[in-house]
Amino acid sequence: MSEVPLPDTEWPLTRPFFAAAARGELAIPRCAGCRAWVWYPREECPRCGGSELPWTRVSGRGTLFSWAVVRRALWKPFADKVPYATGLVALEEDAAVRLVTTLVDCEPEELRVDMPVRAVFRPLAFRGARRQVVVPMFAPVPPALPGR
Amino acid sequence: MHTDDDWGSATPLDGVSRRVAVVGVGEADHSKASGRSAPQIACQAIERALADAGLEPGDVDGLMTSGGLGDQLDAAGFHAHFGTRHALWTSGQGGGMAWAATAPHGAARALAAGQARVVVNVFSVAWATQRSSMTGGPGEFHARERFKAQLELPFGWFPQPVYFATIARRHMHEFGTTSEQLGAIAVACRRHANLHPGAVLHDKPLSLEDYLSRPMLVDPLRMEDCCLISDGGAAYVMTAPERARDLRQPSVVVAGVGEGRSATGLYWSQQPAFTSTPQVFAAPAAFRMAGLEPADVDVLTLYDPFTIVALMQIEDMGFCGKGEGGPFVEGARLHFDGGGLPLNTHGGLLSHAYVLGIAHVVELVRQLRGEAGARQVPGARVGVYGGYTGQHASTLILVRDS
Repeated sequence: MSEVPLPDTEWPLTRPFFAAAARGELAIPRCAGCRAWVWYPREECPRCGGSELPWTRVSGRGTLFSWAVVRRALWKPFADKVPYATGLVALEEDAAVRLVTTLVDCEPEELRVDMPVRAVFRPLAFRGARRQVVVPMFAPVPPALPGR
Repeated sequence: MHTDDDWGSATPLDGVSRRVAVVGVGEADHSKASGRSAPQIACQAIERALADAGLEPGDVDGLMTSGGLGDQLDAAGFHAHFGTRHALWTSGQGGGMAWAATAPHGAARALAAGQARVVVNVFSVAWATQRSSMTGGPGEFHARERFKAQLELPFGWFPQPVYFATIARRHMHEFGTTSEQLGAIAVACRRHANLHPGAVLHDKPLSLEDYLSRPMLVDPLRMEDCCLISDGGAAYVMTAPERARDLRQPSVVVAGVGEGRSATGLYWSQQPAFTSTPQVFAAPAAFRMAGLEPADVDVLTLYDPFTIVALMQIEDMGFCGKGEGGPFVEGARLHFDGGGLPLNTHGGLLSHAYVLGIAHVVELVRQLRGEAGARQVPGARVGVYGGYTGQHASTLILVRDS
């Protein structure tokens, strides 16, 4: 449990997620049959049983469903990152799809439930790890840019 | 708020009302790191439960343990400790958490099938001792889960206090729940622990003012919203009600058992009803089996890894409406003498010991026998335990047999 929590970017069920993030895109599997967004990734659509689930680019826009601010180190890999905000973003395309994420580019005090947020692509960096993985994190949509 | 009931289901269970009785209870010593192993702790709990029941190790012919949480006592360990070698029916569908409530269902079936006549359910942990080596413990199971390792841990959404702080914030948003209300749960549990000589936090009082002055651990949760990490365990002995009446203790019988599951399993992040627990499915089934209602309950023990988990279960089991849990728990309503619904009269996972719910059942039995001393709920006749793992929840209804 003390090792660095970098994802395995080659694991087949999530490989396209990290490949998309490396291109600066957010992609989610969508059933070719019933058009349902399927999250977490699966080999079959839970709604219609379809097995064709192409990864589909989404806008990267959503709302902040909820979050927590970790103020004291609970887990060694994140000990040098406290305080940090981590939580769930509901996607604009389907609010039932919730991404676990880290909230960035803001102070935790600025966060509000259901506020608009957008994906930004940042490397996960952990002390002692040579490898870096780019992932979608989320930031508040600047109030100066309404209607984004 | 998600109101559809399609996010989970009740497990169909055949009726076991009044077909199994709890005739002996025992707790091991609960402590911080003690150097003991979990099976050693389990044997101490069983010794005490058997002494309480007036039974001998040789009378036990059924042993229920946790099949999912490692390093539990097994039949070989039982025989090695007690110097016995008779046949033992065993089941991995026992132990703590949700199984502390559903084990009596499995025991009732074993009794009915003639597989056993006296069944012990036991659970123990040595997580305080193991913590220094970072092995075992409540986080390990989740850290090893593949989707969590890929899509949750890299973002720092781990371990459990982070999950439940996120749930608590959403509950606060949807229903106006406050820190003072979560604190009322922590304070009630602590006051009960202060009245329980075996509680780990027996000597540490906590007022609501103390609670509110404490710093956030994982905002919006404080350390006082989170359970202990303990070494400890407990056991209870079950047999048929007819036999129970011949034993030494006032007989406590199982009136109802229920179990519910969330379709999204252990992925809290994806549960449509984010601020609910599968008690929505478990509790109504248990009350139907028992022919009782939430209003009939005299004493309640709830799996309380975090204050918010107790609050959600109070709502989901029907003690109040969804979203009304905050006002419901305010003040002294959860205290044993508060005139409301006494909750976790031993102190719970928050203040008694983190032995994953098995001691919650022991406490109910003591309350129903009238043995709870300074924290006794006067005239308690119906006791309910709500068990929880996240992906499933369970309800056990016990009544004084008379």
